[in-house]
Amino acid sequence: MRKTVAFIGAALLTATATACGGGASAGGDTTLTLAESVTATPWDLAKASLGPESQYYQPVFDTLVRLDRNGEPTPNLATSWSYDKPQTTLTLKLRTGVKFTDGTALDADAVKRNLLHTRSGAASAAGEIRDISGVDVIDAHTVAIHLSHPSASLLPALGQVSGMMAGPESLEDPKTPVGSGPYKLDTSATTAGQTYTYTRNPGYWNKKAYPYDKVVIKYLSDPTARTNALLSGQIDGGTVNLNRVKTVQARGLKVATYQPGDVEGLYIWDRAGKKVPALGKREVRQALNYAFDKKAMLKSAKTGLGTPTAQLFAPGEDGHDARLEDTYSYDPAKARRLLAEAGYPKGFSVTLPDLSAAFPREQAALTQALKDIGVKVKLDNVPGDQIFSSMLSGKYAMSYFKLGAPTGWDKVQLQLTGKSTWNPFKYHDPKADHLITRIGKATGPRRDALFKQLNAYVVDQAWNAPWSVVANAYATAKGVTTTPQAGLQYPPLHAYAPAAK
Amino acid sequence: MLTFLIRRIAAGAALVAVVATATFLLLNLTGTDVARNILGETATRSAVAAKSHELGLDQPLVERYWHWAEQALRGDLGTSWFTGDPVNQSLMDTLPVTLSIVLAGLLIAAVLSVALGTAAALRGGWVDRVVQFAAVLGTAVPSFLIALVLAVTLAVRLGWLPATGYVAIDASVVDWLRSITLPAVSLAVAATAATAMQVRGALMDVLRADYVRTLRSRGLKPRSIVFRHALRNAAPPALTVLALQFIGLISGAVVVEKVFGLPGIGTLANSAAVRGDAPVLLGTVVVTVAIVVAVNLLLDIAYGWLNPKVRVS
Repeated sequence: MRKTVAFIGAALLTATATACGGGASAGGDTTLTLAESVTATPWDLAKASLGPESQYYQPVFDTLVRLDRNGEPTPNLATSWSYDKPQTTLTLKLRTGVKFTDGTALDADAVKRNLLHTRSGAASAAGEIRDISGVDVIDAHTVAIHLSHPSASLLPALGQVSGMMAGPESLEDPKTPVGSGPYKLDTSATTAGQTYTYTRNPGYWNKKAYPYDKVVIKYLSDPTARTNALLSGQIDGGTVNLNRVKTVQARGLKVATYQPGDVEGLYIWDRAGKKVPALGKREVRQALNYAFDKKAMLKSAKTGLGTPTAQLFAPGEDGHDARLEDTYSYDPAKARRLLAEAGYPKGFSVTLPDLSAAFPREQAALTQALKDIGVKVKLDNVPGDQIFSSMLSGKYAMSYFKLGAPTGWDKVQLQLTGKSTWNPFKYHDPKADHLITRIGKATGPRRDALFKQLNAYVVDQAWNAPWSVVANAYATAKGVTTTPQAGLQYPPLHAYAPAAK
Repeated sequence: MLTFLIRRIAAGAALVAVVATATFLLLNLTGTDVARNILGETATRSAVAAKSHELGLDQPLVERYWHWAEQALRGDLGTSWFTGDPVNQSLMDTLPVTLSIVLAGLLIAAVLSVALGTAAALRGGWVDRVVQFAAVLGTAVPSFLIALVLAVTLAVRLGWLPATGYVAIDASVVDWLRSITLPAVSLAVAATAATAMQVRGALMDVLRADYVRTLRSRGLKPRSIVFRHALRNAAPPALTVLALQFIGLISGAVVVEKVFGLPGIGTLANSAAVRGDAPVLLGTVVVTVAIVVAVNLLLDIAYGWLNPKVRVS
């Protein structure tokens, strides 16, 4: 027994060496505890991503504009703004009297330094504002942002991570965040990578928009652990897997399903038929679109959640056109006929990356649907961390994929131009190129019309075979209400409030 | 004894070095697109190239290895490619969590297996059969299943213990115990089953030995024979099994930590492996191997303490 006693002693010693990891809160104040499925990225906004990890930033860094429920910009740190005639200069009027937690004032110079600093990075937040060509300080509370060309996505970007403001002194190498947001990071109750605790910033100008005195964000990567934590009341909010939605609802929790804009389906990379000649024919690509029973796939793979689609742009995004949704209905006979017309009566062979590890049901449905119309599928095993690189290298003519981007225009940039990252075969088509150039220069209703034209063309040419706009589910505890926001994977922090009793 | 110890320590250090080198090579030979994974699918090609350069991935493998090894020898395991956190700090944060549940699991397994094994060996009959059956069951059921069942029933349904999370011992001893109980029990089941059978077998052998018969014939009390003599002689094989179980418990901790959402070294290694965060993964491998080596060393010392004959040889 003496040995085991020594063992415990050792355990006690090592355990005492750590910082505290989020105990229960003291009575009286209200605490909001949220679970995150991803770890936090560093506090340097130039290295920040847009995804769920932005929730770690929201308590400390306030944004220039605030996006409302529909994703429209409303005043926040900037109280008003206006574009010049050519739509390449955005002038912002800043709120007066706002200070960072280190005491420095949030003025035009701080905004300039922040925007230029974030833009200098390589992560997705930087990519959002890459079109900024320069920033001018007009006076202490007026700042002019210059763009290399008109961009409809600048203002929405300023309401997300790209528009977050950090104390200018802390921009280079921030060890702890310095912001002007509603909360401050409580370093004594924070363990990097595990639990982050935020307490009120007493100097915040808009306290009433944030009803909680304390915010705790815990990293819980495992969906089972998140669901258990929700069910046992340890956390107030977190994403749940679609197949757990019914269980969680049955236990009295509130579940909001929403669509962050990701479109999944069979993405056809080799549209010129360089690797698989059949794919160079429009009829073949259209045949692939007719192969999928979208409703049945949503039912089997996503417990019925999500929306069937035929286009790359999700509802609410620029370019989305509801009339296009019926373009390709499930019709395997027609698919076979189209294949025959294109000169492939016996189908063709194609090698796909096997993504069963991450998307088992989607991969199974995809493989089966292709086999049903006579396409011979060979599956390649790809290690999880090499999936992106193998797709980008042009190893596969097509594959299952899920593309998400903050706006419709970002999707165009990501996939539809000759230089796009997610266009591994560098396919381009003069007609589409021309439309994209014109959209880039256009504004207002003219831009909408051109965008829809581009979308209709891409759907007609069957560049991809999308199935559905993916739904996510976010569950909150009984005592908390929240509203998901269009285009965001998680509800923004100001959207949480105690439920009315 | 001293030269014996020095030899063992040197061999252990060599093993750690070999494993670290092999891991480094394995992690860096696969040619993953780490920079792309870090920046996400929306990053541009030039951004990805810049990131690769920043991480030094464009340098020759040998150079990168020397750089890493030199730092590691000075006790610095580098920084995470994804979060920029020092690996040492991440290990300091996660190790106590894993050690808490593994050592608590080991303690539970040690106590239970001696009790069950002794009962089975001494009583025989139905007690023996029940223990044997439970042992087979305990070995067969994977620990994640036990963890899931415990989490759903005792934590979620009944709310007796927390379903997820870890509370550091310096924050609250009671909460620490509450947070590690279910994970430790999940881990302990398989270890108890294996070790109990070992204790039972060894004790039965010892009880049949000549010297026990001699002790009996001298009229010593049965209790004294079992606890002062037989158990002590039956301990070494049981201890070996327990030490082997320790290694198994560390690997089992990966899954159990996941189910209970514990920020332990298993979770750290797992997320590092999924993302291709080589510095973090290397750090967890080095530390885990070092712990296993240290445990084996302690085991040798324990042998010597239990059985003076070992010290001489």
